[in-house]
Amino acid sequence: MNTYYAVNLLVYAGVDIIACLALNLQFGVSGIVNFSFIVFQAVGAYAAAVLSMPPDTANGGFQHYIGGYELPFPIPWLGGAIAGGLLAIPVGFVVLRKLRSDYQAIALLVLSVIANAVITNADKFLGGAAGIALVPPPLSDRIDPNTESYQYLYVGITAVCVVIALVVANRIVNSPYGRSLRAMRERELAATAIGKNPVQLKMTIFIVGGLIAGLSGGILVGFIQVWAPSVWLYPETIILFAAIIVGGRGNNIGAILGALLVPVGFEEITRFLNNSPSIANLGPPGLIPALQWVAIGLLIIGFLWFRPEGVRPESRRVFEGAPVREDR
Amino acid sequence: MLAATELAPAAERPMLVASDIHRHFEGLHAVDGTSIDVPAGKITGLIGPNGAGKSTLLAVLAGTLPATSGTIVFDGEDVTSSPAYKRARHGLVRTFQLPSEFARLTVLENLLVAAPKNRGDTLLGALRGRSYWIEDERRLVQQARALLKRFGMSAKESEYAGTMSGGQKRLIEIMRALMLGPRLLLLDEPMSGVHPKIVLEIQHYLEDLRAEGLTILMVEHELHMVERLCDTVVVMAQGKVIGSGTMSSLRRQREIVDAYLVG
Repeated sequence: MNTYYAVNLLVYAGVDIIACLALNLQFGVSGIVNFSFIVFQAVGAYAAAVLSMPPDTANGGFQHYIGGYELPFPIPWLGGAIAGGLLAIPVGFVVLRKLRSDYQAIALLVLSVIANAVITNADKFLGGAAGIALVPPPLSDRIDPNTESYQYLYVGITAVCVVIALVVANRIVNSPYGRSLRAMRERELAATAIGKNPVQLKMTIFIVGGLIAGLSGGILVGFIQVWAPSVWLYPETIILFAAIIVGGRGNNIGAILGALLVPVGFEEITRFLNNSPSIANLGPPGLIPALQWVAIGLLIIGFLWFRPEGVRPESRRVFEGAPVREDR
Repeated sequence: MLAATELAPAAERPMLVASDIHRHFEGLHAVDGTSIDVPAGKITGLIGPNGAGKSTLLAVLAGTLPATSGTIVFDGEDVTSSPAYKRARHGLVRTFQLPSEFARLTVLENLLVAAPKNRGDTLLGALRGRSYWIEDERRLVQQARALLKRFGMSAKESEYAGTMSGGQKRLIEIMRALMLGPRLLLLDEPMSGVHPKIVLEIQHYLEDLRAEGLTILMVEHELHMVERLCDTVVVMAQGKVIGSGTMSSLRRQREIVDAYLVG
């Protein structure tokens, strides 16, 4: 395993963990089935890209995008996070106020498809289908990104972001506020009857999730240096849902575990399969990637059927001084 | 009974006055011009045949269903246009006909989640960390444990509420409502589907709560229970109030007997 591969794996793991923590806050803790989650990561990536890139007249003007502000790190990442949070406001306003939760899921899925189609076809806006390339890595004006130490630095900054996201998620999940979110997830009408405002709770956690998702997009685009509609198609959201379901809904350890097992572990293992010539040449071209999707689907169904609580279930909260539980 | 005596002057004014309430579903007039006064410090029963509109009226009073028209004044304040969660925060708290516990929260958490005035119950409060809200939490845990003790459920505090029996879920719901410090409790068939032994317990708890000055409006089918527990009874049929008074006076009214008590 060379450094490049290890760094690649670690940064992807960090991005996936941050994304899963955000999705867990929305889906696992609060019960919002955000099928457009990947759009929030994407908007963070686009925002971070155009904030860090020069205007599109640079590099011979071979690509077209709005903005291009050449702002120093960490502004593009912060901008990515803010873009994710800002996008959550109008989306939440339309989707989360009146619709029943199953329709919310459908509306969000459709939004994801529409957003991708619009960005793909609006080619002067954010590079269209070709996307945006040559996104400068953070701090590349000061440190040469092609050195090994820069690679480790990137892993380090990503790790700091993971820690920040984890602290935020932990504080929310383990607080009385998190308890209100879980109550809303369990029974929204009863939560209303004890004085909770479900619209406000949902909007707030939707925005918090959007911020964190946007940050994950910023980290990713700084690393891979390109961003295009093909990397944020709606099935990417399904992979993250699979991660949460496999890892364990409603708890952050479960979300991290899911991120490591599904997007990182599962996809990386199958990537190796694809690289091995004897397997890659099996069947018609594209068979292995297609089977990858089948496997993700089976993984979701299998877990929902046999172990709906996931590998690491949400823990039962026992308070200090509680009587010893009776064995039944 | 001391508390009830102290509250006596307030009892002059009804705790809740609902006037000319209509609630229509498409063409169906579930509640059709109903007016009701709920006297303070008393238990008022709401009875009537199935489909009379009792639960709908309760939902409209609590705000979980908006009224098509009419006004609701709660403790001197017009709450007609305020949403359910605001009414609950002001002390107008309802329970549900079907068990409505938060299944994957423990029994203790079901109570804690209802408590107002916890600094950790906002996003910013939560982000400031445990030390910011732990004092509030400890105080509320004590308060919740006192309620659990009173309702004989201390041993169950760490169990998931979803694993409790039907009767225990009713008790959880009543305790949860009490955590809000309600001034008026709206109970929707609190005894339905409950083991007879727990029915008796619930009856005693409700009597105690009344003695402490709490006002209760309850929908109930079991007429013996209504007779024992309720100071005044309101009878509904086809979305309208057709009579009110004590249970024994209602039994003497011919049309009410015809509409409900016999049928």
